[in-house]
Amino acid sequence: MTFRQFAYHNVIRNSRVYAAFFMASIFSVVVFFIYSMLMFHPNIEDQFLRNIAFSGMLIAEIILIIFTLFFLFYSMSAFLQARSKEFGILLNLGMEKYQLNRLVFLETMILGFISITVGIFFGFSFSKYFFMIIQELFLLDSLPLYLSWKPFALTIFVFLSLFITISISGVVFIRKKEITQLLKGYWKSDGDVGYKRWKAIMGLAMLFMAYSLVIFSVFHMQIWVAVIIILLALVGTYLFFTDSILYILQQIRKRKQFYWHPFRLVAFAEASIKIRENSRMFFVVTIVSTIAFLSVGVVTSFSTFTAQYRATHPVSLFYSSDWDNPFEENHLMQLTNQLQQENLSYDLVRFRLKKQTSSNTREVVNIIRESDVNSLAISLKYPIITLNEGEAFILGSAQYKDENQSKEQFVLEESSVPIYIKGNYNYPIFPAFAMDTPIIILNDLDYLLVTEPLAGFGIEESNATFYTFHVSEWLRTKDIGAELDNIIVHSVGTSNVNPNPFYFENPGLNYSIIRATFSLLLFTGLLVAAVLLLAAGSFVYFKLYTDLEKDKKLYDVLRRMGVTEPELVKLVNRQLIPQFFLPWGLAMVHSTFSFFFLQAFWVDLAAISIAMEMLLVLIAFTIIQVSYFYLIRWRYIAHIRAS
Amino acid sequence: MMSILILDEVSKVYEGKVAHLAVNQLSFEVEKGEFLAIMGPSGSGKTTLLNMISTIDTPTSGELFIDGTNPINLTKNDLALFRRRHLGFVFQDFNLLPALTVEENMILPLTLDGQPVETMKRKVAILAEQLDLTPILDKRPAEISGGQAQRTAIGRALIHEPSIILADEPTGNLDSKAARDVLELLTEVNKRRQTTIIMVTHDAIAASYCDRVLFIKDGQYFNEIYKDDRRQTFFQRILNLLSLLGGNVNDLSTIRLS
Repeated sequence: MTFRQFAYHNVIRNSRVYAAFFMASIFSVVVFFIYSMLMFHPNIEDQFLRNIAFSGMLIAEIILIIFTLFFLFYSMSAFLQARSKEFGILLNLGMEKYQLNRLVFLETMILGFISITVGIFFGFSFSKYFFMIIQELFLLDSLPLYLSWKPFALTIFVFLSLFITISISGVVFIRKKEITQLLKGYWKSDGDVGYKRWKAIMGLAMLFMAYSLVIFSVFHMQIWVAVIIILLALVGTYLFFTDSILYILQQIRKRKQFYWHPFRLVAFAEASIKIRENSRMFFVVTIVSTIAFLSVGVVTSFSTFTAQYRATHPVSLFYSSDWDNPFEENHLMQLTNQLQQENLSYDLVRFRLKKQTSSNTREVVNIIRESDVNSLAISLKYPIITLNEGEAFILGSAQYKDENQSKEQFVLEESSVPIYIKGNYNYPIFPAFAMDTPIIILNDLDYLLVTEPLAGFGIEESNATFYTFHVSEWLRTKDIGAELDNIIVHSVGTSNVNPNPFYFENPGLNYSIIRATFSLLLFTGLLVAAVLLLAAGSFVYFKLYTDLEKDKKLYDVLRRMGVTEPELVKLVNRQLIPQFFLPWGLAMVHSTFSFFFLQAFWVDLAAISIAMEMLLVLIAFTIIQVSYFYLIRWRYIAHIRAS
Repeated sequence: MMSILILDEVSKVYEGKVAHLAVNQLSFEVEKGEFLAIMGPSGSGKTTLLNMISTIDTPTSGELFIDGTNPINLTKNDLALFRRRHLGFVFQDFNLLPALTVEENMILPLTLDGQPVETMKRKVAILAEQLDLTPILDKRPAEISGGQAQRTAIGRALIHEPSIILADEPTGNLDSKAARDVLELLTEVNKRRQTTIIMVTHDAIAASYCDRVLFIKDGQYFNEIYKDDRRQTFFQRILNLLSLLGGNVNDLSTIRLS
């Protein structure tokens, strides 16, 4: 058996111990690789898309790397701790320190090599599915699987450096220990659950303050408070796990009436030891889960925003033309041709606008016809309107009463048509930009009576035309009128002045960009969150595994003392539940309060309720966590029974 | 006197690639209130025997009665309850739960049985006084000496007033002073409470505290001797028998490598 074989056998024969670790690191390689496949994809021609894809993936990759480094480092040192007895024996048998270092280095590299190979293999196999999802999100024509050295090189380079860093740090870890210390086994616990009372109280106080500040912010939003809240919550969470929770448990343990109970006695005592030993891990898991919940929550709330966007921009294509627009015919031809080319069926409604002066406000109003509005309303599935002669609706939510005269009745001055405003037709059939001038809907007969031009203008000059295209497959219109959109975007920019004699808006295009961006963020966020959760879960599993020897002995004693099997399961439950659900529960509370804060913050930006999305996210994560708990408990009980 | 433990032609075979006969047609009885030591060289089947009496292992053939009950007739659940109420255990490495205080370790069997807190408080107070543990009741196992730890373990074995206490090398991890204390305590418990104690040991000194020593070899009955007036001469007779047992001196060491 050569030295290398020895290292190899150590890894392969311990594969059960390494299983969770392998799973988490392979998954992390898979996700990293898939992201880099998208990052380097040659077929994404669209500059904008390319930017989103590249920067989104880059951020995701960086988060992934940082976290993976942390995860690997933590698991590796826990592994070495668990195996310290074995190392002690090896050193006792006369292995030199440099040989032991080499052994650890080799083992880590074997682990890394297997993780990278398997990870890239699965990553490459799944990237086609990933591309299919991206294709669906961005409504791209095709996003084929491609072969390029770049994603491979990036993944191998990044993870190889990660594993080398980890193996070196592992070597440093062992070097510091004496043989006798190693032989004794690192993980022997003396049952110490020491805590500092002032720290415990401070931890609780800080959490309480953070939460109070959140509630305070709901009423008085101040953005700098967020920084204080985050700091308080971070330190508070840390102290909560290192001291507060132990303090609380100690208080419970003083109440014998409650504590001296068949299961509570062992479960509470064991739980406090486990929490004491793993407090830092719990802290990290809590923060990571909070971030994961939050990022997914925030991103889902963006989709609420897009949903609202869609509701406020129901018309697929909008083209308006002033009277002196020389391109009108040309542009319309272009649009209809493009629609035909894309095989999109559409309903076109043409609105002839007539300008008049209102006797009420002395301002210019635009007049449109009831029948035109109704034909658009039918396609958009909005309620149709019925107007009698002399009656009118105001489009949108504009006030039609003059402050002084409060008259609902006025005259269109030039043509002397008296009208009575019946109410508002508050449906966004035109984009906001086209509604600068109040628009009044008249009965068809009244509309015909409006014959005189606007005072000071010719009959031609007091007319304009709106074209609305309703396309039922409106998500596919993103390529229609791209040139027109370009002209408008470039000439209007962020100002509110349109120098062109025409205006064009394609909500389908805008929508598709927003939707794609946020969907991509959501998707990326979900994958990162999944990696984080998996890693967090494997931490817990791993800790359980290293404590297994100790726990087996404990359960053996209890079994001899007459604990029945169902009681044993209950005991295990009571011991495992805090380990799984304490960090998770605190993360839930944290995220709930963060959501409150975001909600308060968001309300200032746009009137969107994100409560529903948050609830869904929290429920989804709960389901994942519960199933993970059952999975791990099943393995754990199987191991304990096996003794 | 009635027998509290009866073994009738008990055998235990471990199946496997190489079947192994750990206990071979062993028969003996233990009287109520007796303090019995079981001795034998390593691999003589002592642990298997103790496990069968502990009801966590079942004989392959033969019959075993504890307090008139044959554990083989009980379901797994009832067996656990039976152990909980009728048996007390003392281990070589104490096996106290590190997370619990001395007091909590002692009351553990009672809490498992869901006894009222008042009863537990009363019992633990009396027992701690007897075992001289009162001052350290709130300490954790890591903070007390080996002798104190074993006394705590004895307290845990006694608190539910079991019919039999099973002790597996109770002095194996203790220095000679602490070992003597523990043995004197066990003797006292045996005399005063009339508790039956079965102790497996390698240590001739420990065995010399008992009423009777049963020797087994290769899973079979070898011999037994009863105590006489002086512990010193009993100890000498035990040593003589051990040398007859054919083990070499190393087997008699008080230190067991584990």
